[in-house]
Amino acid sequence: MLRPILLVEDNPNDIELTMIALERARLANPVISVRDGAEALDYLRRQGQWANRADENPAVMLLDKKLPKIDGHEVLKEVRADENLRRIPVVMLTSSREEKDLLRSYDLGVNAYVVKPVSFDDFMDAISDLGIFWAVLNEPPPYSG
Amino acid sequence: MANVYDPHAHAAPAELDCAKEPIHIPGGIQPHGYLISVDDAGRMVQVSANMVELAGVSAASLCGQPLSRVLGDTADVCMREVGTQDMQGAPRFICAIDDPRAAANPSGGYAPLAIVAHRHEGATILELERAKGTADVFSSVYPLVRTFLRELSENHTISELAQSAANEIKHITGYGRALVYSFDDAGNGHVIAEALDPSYPSYLDQHFPGSDIPPQARALYVLNRIRLISDADYEPVPLVPAMHPATGRPTDLTWSSLRSVSPVHVQYMKNMGTWSSMSMSIVVRGRLWGLISCHHATPRLPAFETRAACEHIAQMLSLQIEAKEDRSQAEYRLELRDRLSRLVTAMANSERFVDALSAVETDLLGLASAAGAAIVFDGQITPIGLTPDIRTIERLVAWLDSKGEEVYATDQLAGIDGEIENPDAAGILAVSISTLFRNYVIWFRPEVIRALKWAGDPRGKLASLSARLSPRESFDVWTETVRGRSLPWHAAELEIAVELRTALLGIVLRRAEELAQLALELSRVNEELESFSYTVSHDLRAPLRHIAGFADLLRDMEADRLSERGRHFVERIIGSARFGGRLVDDLLAFSQMGRAALRIQPVDLAPLVDELVAEQRRDQPDRTIEWRINPLGTITADAVLIQVVMRNLIDNAVKFTRNRAGAGDSAIIEIGCEAGHGELADYDVVFVRDNGVGFDPQYVNKLFGVFQRLHRFEDFEGTGIGLASVKRIVERHGGKCWAQGQLEHGATLTFAVPRRTVVVDTQVRETPAAAVARLAAVSTHARPFRNVRKSSE
Repeated sequence: MLRPILLVEDNPNDIELTMIALERARLANPVISVRDGAEALDYLRRQGQWANRADENPAVMLLDKKLPKIDGHEVLKEVRADENLRRIPVVMLTSSREEKDLLRSYDLGVNAYVVKPVSFDDFMDAISDLGIFWAVLNEPPPYSG
Repeated sequence: MANVYDPHAHAAPAELDCAKEPIHIPGGIQPHGYLISVDDAGRMVQVSANMVELAGVSAASLCGQPLSRVLGDTADVCMREVGTQDMQGAPRFICAIDDPRAAANPSGGYAPLAIVAHRHEGATILELERAKGTADVFSSVYPLVRTFLRELSENHTISELAQSAANEIKHITGYGRALVYSFDDAGNGHVIAEALDPSYPSYLDQHFPGSDIPPQARALYVLNRIRLISDADYEPVPLVPAMHPATGRPTDLTWSSLRSVSPVHVQYMKNMGTWSSMSMSIVVRGRLWGLISCHHATPRLPAFETRAACEHIAQMLSLQIEAKEDRSQAEYRLELRDRLSRLVTAMANSERFVDALSAVETDLLGLASAAGAAIVFDGQITPIGLTPDIRTIERLVAWLDSKGEEVYATDQLAGIDGEIENPDAAGILAVSISTLFRNYVIWFRPEVIRALKWAGDPRGKLASLSARLSPRESFDVWTETVRGRSLPWHAAELEIAVELRTALLGIVLRRAEELAQLALELSRVNEELESFSYTVSHDLRAPLRHIAGFADLLRDMEADRLSERGRHFVERIIGSARFGGRLVDDLLAFSQMGRAALRIQPVDLAPLVDELVAEQRRDQPDRTIEWRINPLGTITADAVLIQVVMRNLIDNAVKFTRNRAGAGDSAIIEIGCEAGHGELADYDVVFVRDNGVGFDPQYVNKLFGVFQRLHRFEDFEGTGIGLASVKRIVERHGGKCWAQGQLEHGATLTFAVPRRTVVVDTQVRETPAAAVARLAAVSTHARPFRNVRKSSE
């Protein structure tokens, strides 16, 4: 089974638009959508409602910066500090063009930082490119844990 | 030499010899008295050769004999006094006796003799001098000083006191002229009072160089406070034997009142027609403050009592001067304090304390009795009154900086820094208000000569004198010695300067606190702004994205079901949402420009411009533009931000030449960089010139405004942020930008940035990733990435 794409996004509009974009990119990978940072960590660590999921890390995590409870940077930090999770490719997918957000993301070891374009065509292109690159072209880290 | 401070006696050639002359061991005495040195057993061991007159036998034969051999019973009185009293230093009066010869020859006209005694270097020295009578000397002195004593209480100023002393001394001694001098710190003399007979020329208000009195004479004057030369024609009387038997050396006559004087000095006296002179020291706080000096055209021998009275007068004058000086210092301090409090009040009530300081000109100058002052604050020099030119003051400030003293004063600036030689600033008093910044208050005093010239050149009065060694020449000598000197700064002035400094520091400190408070508020506002822009970035952009996204989907998926009008509306929604998104992005980029720290470094413009031009060619392959790129140099700026500036200017030029093709002309864009001139002398000036639609010059001031557009949206797209960004970035570099143009005749947009010396610090140099992040943040509508993505498609 193909590794899933983990989408961490709280805004339903963004979830819907991203799902449509991923759908249109015709990716075979399943897309898991979680609504906040805490749930993202639950999923990754297979705890709480995700305790019984298959023990396969996602091919890529599309992470919004601004999230309820635990924000994107916090999630990224936890992931990079976790022996089992630290090799998961993480793409910051965010509205923020703030320099300090960008730098902080890189400092925390993000693999890519993408500002969501306003135009849906551009957004589609971006999501499609991301999906193809990370889920298809990119060779994921070997199975761990 | 001079045992009288004699204004005639200054002449230089003899001067060299005088300075070396051992005047305290002249080896002899003047003939108007007798000297006897006795041992502790009362035997005479050394006597003046003229003792033969008193004793009738040779001086040599007297040595070894008891003192009583000459003085009879009085010898016991003398020896008792010498044995019981402290006789070190100045001679003490012991008693007055009848001349031993008078007993045998009552009609011989022998005057009584006063006996004074002192001990010095192990020798006991008795001196016998002509007196008025044998009565108690003090009862005969009192009537002589009585007048002066009465006048002491009536006189208020030092010069009034000096005048009284001159009058009184002339009166009781009968000398033809009595002068009172005061000395300045450098020892230059000034005649402050004078009493004279009509035949004597006046020296009042004359100045004489300090070199007129050699230093060893000054030292002697402080110790031995009265000196007399009764007859310039005298033959010195040697002491017998020449060497004192107890010391084996010539007898030190420092304290002797009969001491013989330098032949050089006597010669000068004669040259100037003075045959007798007497001078008394005015010693204030242990310092030779001045002299009372008397001259007479013929030999003159004032009686012992008269001289004692003169010495008293000099002492009383000394004490009074000390008291008056103390009092006038105290009054002066009070006056200064008054001025200071007025200044401080004015400063405290003023927005800018420099204005307050300079507004009350008399108080600021009066604070240090200065002719001019300069306030150096925040890089500005405010001159007040008589000052050197600004450039000189600037040099002076640089020099003061190198000294780094809180308060600095000199009355001879030229001597310290040869470069700063200005008669208006011979003396300066400077207080530094801040050690961190170049903030000073500097007072200036002119050269004394200059100050004196205003008061009236004393040479004028004496122009008729033609004597070779006239005071006129002496004045010239004095002029040379005080060239480049101002009046000295008083302790009171230095103290008040320190107080002014303290007051200024207080004010500066308060201002600094206010500024710090302001900065705090500013940083709070900045933080708010930052969080605001963050909110805008995230929260305002998201709904715009959603509107555009869903409208796009509606158009893509449901277009068939919409009417023509409905599809038109959807297009409008999409267009507006995208434009809204761009506005938000541009606004954020613009606010980033104002906040991001500058990383100034040398920037080679040529490759930067080449890259931007290449990008335009790639982006707009259908446009034909004639690029005229002049040789471009290196400027000092933030490379990332200057790239944004050049991109905006080039975008602008490309955009507004778009219609040239239609007009039949080809678009021409010229880019150049040159060194600035005039007020832009230290700037690099960069311009981008086009032959596009230009603009109406009456709107030129709107050109660089945020969201200002001079063209209809349908004609030229854009959010109106580009040139506002240019202006903001250029201004953050300390530069300026401007535009020239005519409607339909093109435009030239120019900016100038200061040329700086940049030390490229490797630690400051940013990584490529950081530079890209910064560029992304300050670029409008994500341009740096768009091209990359397009070319990858």
